[in-house]
Parts: sequence; structure tokens; C-alpha cells
Amino acid sequence: MPQFLSKAGQYLPILIDGVVITVSLTIAALVISTVLGLVWALMRYSGIGALVLISKTIVNTVRGIPILVQLFYIYFVLPELGIELTAFQAGAIGLGIAYSCYMAENFRAGLEAIEKGQIEAAQSIGMKWPLMMRRVILPQAIRTVLPPYGNTMIMLLKDTSQASVITVAELTMKGKLVASSTFDNMTVYTFVALLYLALSVPLILLAGYLERRFGTR
Amino acid sequence: MIRLENIHKRFGDLEVLKGIDVEVAQGEVVCLIGASGSGKSTLLRCINGLESHDDGRVTIDGVEVDRRKPSIHDIRTSVTMVFQRFNLFPHRTALENVIEGPIYVKGEPRREAEAHGRALLDRIGLATKADSYPASLSGGQQQRVAIARALAMRPKAILFDEPTSALDPELVGEVLAAMRDLANDGMTMLVVTHEMGFAREVGDRVLFMDGGLIVEEGPAESVLTDPQHDRTRDFLRRVLNK
Repeated sequence: MPQFLSKAGQYLPILIDGVVITVSLTIAALVISTVLGLVWALMRYSGIGALVLISKTIVNTVRGIPILVQLFYIYFVLPELGIELTAFQAGAIGLGIAYSCYMAENFRAGLEAIEKGQIEAAQSIGMKWPLMMRRVILPQAIRTVLPPYGNTMIMLLKDTSQASVITVAELTMKGKLVASSTFDNMTVYTFVALLYLALSVPLILLAGYLERRFGTR
Repeated sequence: MIRLENIHKRFGDLEVLKGIDVEVAQGEVVCLIGASGSGKSTLLRCINGLESHDDGRVTIDGVEVDRRKPSIHDIRTSVTMVFQRFNLFPHRTALENVIEGPIYVKGEPRREAEAHGRALLDRIGLATKADSYPASLSGGQQQRVAIARALAMRPKAILFDEPTSALDPELVGEVLAAMRDLANDGMTMLVVTHEMGFAREVGDRVLFMDGGLIVEEGPAESVLTDPQHDRTRDFLRRVLNK
């Protein structure tokens, strides 16, 4: 144990760089996926034929393609079409789009759980669609959506490790580098695993806090 | 003020409204009675465009009701609705439910809307419940808040869709009392109801619907005590001798 700690201490400065990238990537992808997911879900919920079709097509297409393939596509294929992205940008956008579909399904479940009477009540006092969404539907949908949202956040944090395949120097990538130069696989990967676990704890607490904040009543 | 001309409505093959003509004058209380499935609620919902009609015309003070036109939102602020299942916003307090429309739809200053909202809650006897959430109120209290919410828009008329049908029997009275109070105040009301006592006492006019048509109409007292049609007589016998 003391040996583990001293070695881990040596690796820490390198791995910490990875942690910073992992956290930034998670936040960037979370923002992108939340915004896009909300857009897909609202399009689906709008009941307007063309929007529903577009939303369904996007969600089902993206869900049906492995995240790794999506990342390769964005990082290696898009430059051929003249769109150059850094590895980090490609990772954030790729994970953001991939996760927007899971988010959309979470949001949709929340929206559809709302009674039709709420829509009629909002309409009966003259509310238009955007106002009804903002004041009546979304605040109620948040409660149903938070538990699965928290779960998706944690999945996203772990899936940022996949961005290592397109050279994003996040935690898993850094771990691999340290392991291959020291051959100290045991210490490095144990430490990397513990770091991921440590990162997910704040997310779990955040999800719990949000559920309490919006959940009651 | 509210005028329906030759209203037809189909749900698939089923024709639920087969040509209805109704006129409601300012300050009038009109009760719509009839068996379940006779089209009463559908008719009511055509008036504020929650339901579309396939044929005919609905006008409010001469403005045509068309749920596809932007004017529908203004119509709904002037003819509000009270629902069978209350449909209060569960994430807002009683007062917030009442002031939601005035503030966010009509753009009233919050202070003014709150003062008016509190006055309305006071009027229906729920001043002390202003900060309670719907879940902690009884059905009767929730429905009274819903009435205050409909009133807060300062509407020309209020539509009531079986306002007491979802209530425990002992809670019906308090809701009817609130409605009676409104009627005495001169509010124009169109009420779908199974409460014959209320219809007789408060209603200026009663319309009896059966099979998508208005079979009989007239002053409340005469329709309810001396119906002319067999179907009205049958219906009343069944409701009154349950």
C-alpha cells in the first residue's frame, strides 16, 4: 500500500493533466448533448409531422452507430470534406451528438409523462406553445427526467475514455502512456480506475441534489 | 355573446354533434344536461377551440373561433374554462396558479396580479391557502382555486366542464356555492353538469342534449319540472331517482 501511494504520487502530475481533459470533455459533451437532446425531444413532442420525422430519423440513425465509429468519422472523414477539427473538438462534438440521442429519449419520457389536462389548462388561459413549454410543461418534466439524466451524465463521463482513440489526451490515454513506459500496469490502471470513480462521485451528488431541489412537490 | 351555428363534429365514423345551434347572452347562466356521450363536453370544448368542429360556426362577440388562427389565444383569455379534473399546475402554489395567466399571458404587473389573485382566493374562501400546493388541497379546494384561476383572466364568460363530477359528494356543495356566487355577480356561464338542483336554482336556461342534438331547451324551471319530450323525461327520471 505505501508502495502504491508513492508510485501513484509519481504518476499523479501526468494523470492530472488527463483528468483535466476528461472533465472538460465531459462538460463540453454534456452541454452539447443536453441542448441537442432537448431540441430533438421538443421536435418529437411538437406533433408537427416533418419535425417528428426529422427527429426520429436523427435519433435512430445516431443510436444505431457505435460511438467509436462516429468519432472516427468526425475526426478523419470530415477533414476530407474541408472541416478541420482539433481532437478535443471532434471528441466533444462526437460524444455530444451520440449522447444527444440518449438525452432526447430521457426528455421525451419526461414530456410524455405529463397529463394532457396540463396542456389544456395552459391553453385555456391563452398560453401559446413556447410559454406553455417554459412555464408548465418543462418545469414538470424536469422531475421525471432528473434520475435518468444523472445516470446518463455518469455514462458520459466514462465514455469520454473512447475519445482516446482519436488522440484526445484524456485520463485513459495518459494512463496508457504511463503504463507503457513504466510497465507498472497494476498501479497505473488501479489509480486510473480510482480517479474515474472519484470523478463520478460529484456527479452522483449533483444528481441527488438536483432531484431533491426539483423533485419534491 | 357566445353563438354556435349548425355545429357538426365527427370522431372518425362517429358523429358526436349533429348540427347544434346555441346562443348565450351576456350575464346568462346556461346549463347543459344530458347522458354521458351525448356530446355536451365536446360542444363546450368547441367554444374555446380545445376541440375543432367540422362544420358550422362558433363566434364570441362576433369573432370566429378557429383553433388554427392566432386569434384563438385572445379568445381563450376572454372565455376561460374550468375542468372536471381541475388541472391545476401541481408545481405552483394556489396563488401562483391564479396569477400565472394574468402575469405571463396578459402581462399584468406582478403586484397588481397578486393583489387581484389574493382577493379572488379570499372570495372563494381560500385566502389562507394561497401558499399551499395543489397536492395538499382537497378536491373541492382545488376546484375552487381552478375557478379563481379562470376568473383571474377577467373573462367575459367561463365554461364549466362537469366541475363537480370528480368530487367526493361532501365536497360538491362548496364548489357549487362558489359558482352560485359568480352567477349572482352577473358572470356569463355555460355549465355542463349533472347537478339538477344547481341547474334549477342557478340556471337561467337549460339545454338537454341527446345523441348529438339539443332535444329540448327552455327556462330551467320548466324544462326540469315539466319536460315536453319523452327523452328528457326519461333522462330526468333516471338522474333524479338514482
